[in-house]
Amino acid sequence: MSEDRTDQPSRQRWNRPDASMSLLADLMSGALDPGYAQHASRGGEAASRRFSRPAVLLTAVVVVGLLFSTAVIKQRRDEPLADRHRQDLIAQVEAGTQETDRLQRRLAVLRRQTAQARAARLDRSREGRQTRERLEDLALLAGDTPVTGPGLRITVDDAASGASAGAVGDGAAADEGTAADGTQVLDRDLQQLVNALWAAGADAIAVDGQRLTSMTAIRAAGDAILVDYRPVSPPYVVSAVGDPETLEVRFADSRAGRLFRTLESAFGVRFDVEREDRMRLPGASSLTLHYAREVRQR
Amino acid sequence: MIAAFGLLVGVVVGLVLQPDVPLWLQPYLPIAIVAALDALFGALRAMLDGIFDERVFVVSFLANTVVAALIVFLGDQLGVGSQLTTAVVVVLGIRIFANVAAIRRSLFRA
Repeated sequence: MSEDRTDQPSRQRWNRPDASMSLLADLMSGALDPGYAQHASRGGEAASRRFSRPAVLLTAVVVVGLLFSTAVIKQRRDEPLADRHRQDLIAQVEAGTQETDRLQRRLAVLRRQTAQARAARLDRSREGRQTRERLEDLALLAGDTPVTGPGLRITVDDAASGASAGAVGDGAAADEGTAADGTQVLDRDLQQLVNALWAAGADAIAVDGQRLTSMTAIRAAGDAILVDYRPVSPPYVVSAVGDPETLEVRFADSRAGRLFRTLESAFGVRFDVEREDRMRLPGASSLTLHYAREVRQR
Repeated sequence: MIAAFGLLVGVVVGLVLQPDVPLWLQPYLPIAIVAALDALFGALRAMLDGIFDERVFVVSFLANTVVAALIVFLGDQLGVGSQLTTAVVVVLGIRIFANVAAIRRSLFRA
């Protein structure tokens, strides 16, 4: 097409109002190799017929065709290969997960045996028995051993999408980010719930079967909530072992209790509190010993 | 004509022989394809405009392919391989579009 943009003297080009578009303009106007136009202006076919050999053109187009078919073939060939690699990786991940599960079961067995051996050894003396009782209490509070007893079971779930977002009733609810459709329970909500249960006097708490220790984090990763780095999915069942009546009353009075009642009434978040006569919470899956050191007062 | 025939021969030969692309050449194959497409559409447009010349086509095809591969190779050495590949593909793509638009105009007006 027109070559006049590139033929203008450079000063004129830069004075045009669209000088900054020169890159795109050159791209579009120079799309046809200027060699064709130059050749045509120089004499065209007569000149070329004298100097060119048809073999060269033929070779070039054959190479182009070869390139295309080679690329297509390679693409077709590589697809099943990539798929097979993916399947291999999936199989490896599944094998790894099964191995981890097997090792966890073995770990549970060994821990039980260790506890039994320790208990038998400690029972031999009075001091030992006192130590053993203290150890069992501490282990229960730390979350190391399973615990059975009465308590509260609180179930929270995301609001069904499409639930209308009503007026924000409580200042606490305004702190939580609410989605336009289907208000989701956030990790902060669960944190407040759990903290309120501890404050209400719970002896042990588990979220969706995960026992909480003093080091357990409840955090969000993307859309999912992680408890102790394990994803949990709604509905979230929080089980707290303790005196059901005290727990329920104190929890209802707490900030978290008010928050969830507001979430339930304003956003349709599901919030059920039930007393249970007998619950069993498992022990924490892994417990690392940390030793506290006294901070020197200066 | 002879060019179209040669293209067909090349495609058929490739399909029949199914050559293995050596591993060191594989990253440059896509860029070579796009450069070849650019030269091809440029040639088509020149043909429709009546100013086609074989020498210019061969030189532009070879130059495009080699220069594109060189840029990508240089980019690989410098650590910006994928970005430079994207840049080359974008530029060549724009040129292909411009040529195809001109071809369309020639075809549907003439």
